[in-house]
Amino acid sequence: MPQSDFATFTELLRTRTAELADQDVHIHLRDTRGGVRAEHLTYGELDRAARRIAACLQQYDVARKPVLLLYSSTVEFLKAFAGCLYAGGIAVPAPMPGEAGHGKRLNRTSAVLKDSGATVVLTETTGAPEVALWLARSNRQDAACVVTDASGTADPADFRPVAARPDDLAFLQYTSGSVSEPRGVMVSHRNLLANQESLRTVLRTTGEDVFGSWLPHFHDMGLVAHLLHPVWLGSHGVQMSPLSFIKRPVRWLQAIDEYGVTVGGGPNFCFDLCVRRVTDEQVASLDLSRWRLVINGAEPVRADSLRAFADRFAPAGLRPEALYPSYGLAEATLVVSGGTPGTPHTERLFDQAELERDRVAGAVAGRAARTLVGCGRPVGLDVRIVDPVTHHELRPGSVGEIWVRGASVARGYWKRPTESVRVFRATLNNEESNFLRTGDLGLLDDGELFVTGRLKEVVIINGRNVYPQDLEGAVRSVSPALTFGTGAAFSVEADREQLVLVQEIRLAGVTDEGLRSVAQRIQELIGKEFDIPAGNVLLVRPGTVRRTTSGKIQRTAMRELFLQGVLRGEYEVLTPDVRALVRADDELLGEDLLRPEPVEGVRPW
Amino acid sequence: MTTPTSRHTPAGTAAPHDWLLDRLSLYLRRAPDTIDPTVPLAEYGMDSVSALSLCGDLEDAFGLEVEPTLLWDHPTVESLTGYLCAALPGMSERLR
Repeated sequence: MPQSDFATFTELLRTRTAELADQDVHIHLRDTRGGVRAEHLTYGELDRAARRIAACLQQYDVARKPVLLLYSSTVEFLKAFAGCLYAGGIAVPAPMPGEAGHGKRLNRTSAVLKDSGATVVLTETTGAPEVALWLARSNRQDAACVVTDASGTADPADFRPVAARPDDLAFLQYTSGSVSEPRGVMVSHRNLLANQESLRTVLRTTGEDVFGSWLPHFHDMGLVAHLLHPVWLGSHGVQMSPLSFIKRPVRWLQAIDEYGVTVGGGPNFCFDLCVRRVTDEQVASLDLSRWRLVINGAEPVRADSLRAFADRFAPAGLRPEALYPSYGLAEATLVVSGGTPGTPHTERLFDQAELERDRVAGAVAGRAARTLVGCGRPVGLDVRIVDPVTHHELRPGSVGEIWVRGASVARGYWKRPTESVRVFRATLNNEESNFLRTGDLGLLDDGELFVTGRLKEVVIINGRNVYPQDLEGAVRSVSPALTFGTGAAFSVEADREQLVLVQEIRLAGVTDEGLRSVAQRIQELIGKEFDIPAGNVLLVRPGTVRRTTSGKIQRTAMRELFLQGVLRGEYEVLTPDVRALVRADDELLGEDLLRPEPVEGVRPW
Repeated sequence: MTTPTSRHTPAGTAAPHDWLLDRLSLYLRRAPDTIDPTVPLAEYGMDSVSALSLCGDLEDAFGLEVEPTLLWDHPTVESLTGYLCAALPGMSERLR
């Protein structure tokens, strides 16, 4: 049955599971003491488990209500996701509470529980003690915790099919928004089916394709492209845990080889990790010739990362044209644009100074140039480049905010009607309505989309979006000497994207050793609570961090001052790459020539 | 890649210490003798990806299962070495 005949993803699931009962839908590779163990799930088993879980869920009246899904195993997750759809509920995937940030204050799963208002939580036997304890600590003993892989939960025969409509929600995607203000993207069945069709169009996927991923199942690219797209096609995917990939990147490549994976990818950093950590001997033992689409998305795509990966794994049979940059976001369900399979991706050199003024010009000899990787052509969506202030479409050759419109643009943010109207139903040129504002900046060049930066001040490190206000709040909590100071968190490009934390400190009575200890505690806290490195910390005098008259922190201005080398800390720690970038002149000029120039009244040297 | 390559002394705490410095110098991209054993590794730019990589190395090289939070509990070379010597009484033999 062709996919276009289905009105909901649930209908598709029920048909696929009947048609392909004996075939694998999913293989989960689990790390054990004895090595890697493969757990297979067939379409038939998926259907039986989903009916059993749905029968159980129907006792809780979950129709059109959010159900939180907390799993480590993607086999159990997939069963629960299907069970949730069978019962007419809204699936809400989230990380296990223990993996969602170490501090209680910043735990993403706690934030998702609260924001979604879910009263039913599904988990697996191995996760049950952790989830029960977390619910008790969150004072949510009222929430029902259902262990879906325990025998005797319910009888599949008790399941009563629910008629879902195309505009009912299939799931909430909580990758957007800060931890303090999480945003659940409402993805309807119509959105999901439309984006699946777009994925097929742009990737030219068929039921013969095999998917291979280490991405978390609660990540939009992990869920929509690597877990659900195989189901939609009637194919199967192989999955390992993010932890297991980070520990041994070669395991992902070995799985791609062993299972004949043809499509699989992740954010840019994972390719750098493979290049750095896979040895020559391991490369020699791999056959990556069947990997036809190495998808690079979810964070800015870097030309040098693509080149290094292609070179490193060419001896393993990897074809350079397999590298596949793409662009997408949860608010558009997933994919927005991608290249043409089997043809090399596009790279173009632009004049850097012009780009910084939001204009597009080719590189000129003798002037700084920036290489941008093309993210292919829009698929299934109307994409425009727009002035973010006037909301007028810009002329070709301009950099502006990327706006998109079409069937896979999600329905909005859960329980945030005002913000949803602003973000998902923007009006272009005072006449065309229902555009999604992506918050990303880019340009269209001969129909190809190039992403140049971000309008919103989100920091993306190791594929994760981190919001500056969350970081700044955490930094201030480290010491009473910081409580009344202002901070600015931003990222800079130095070899890779790196975090910079600037924080005002009350200096009275603080020794040099005291400053150092505060900086260390900041690094430790950010590492623990956000799981990202805080390599660069500047403790500055009160009044240094610029704010608008309404009190908004001017992070972009602070970033500029830092990059010009004029923003300096009373105490600062910098990584070698960042030091080389912003303190390059120190050795030439002598550091005391530049210090201690106050940042107020900056001179552009 | 996880086979230690240099300067392992047969006994005492020197072996885990040198093995660690070898690995850390790779992840931190700096010479082993510039890593002060009492300075938190986060100050040298050690991030969670490198910390997890080190956990993988420990499992491969010594069959030692460690918690992913190892480096938060033992943030310096000194404290990591102490932990390893306690967890691996026979480590120096296996290293040879």
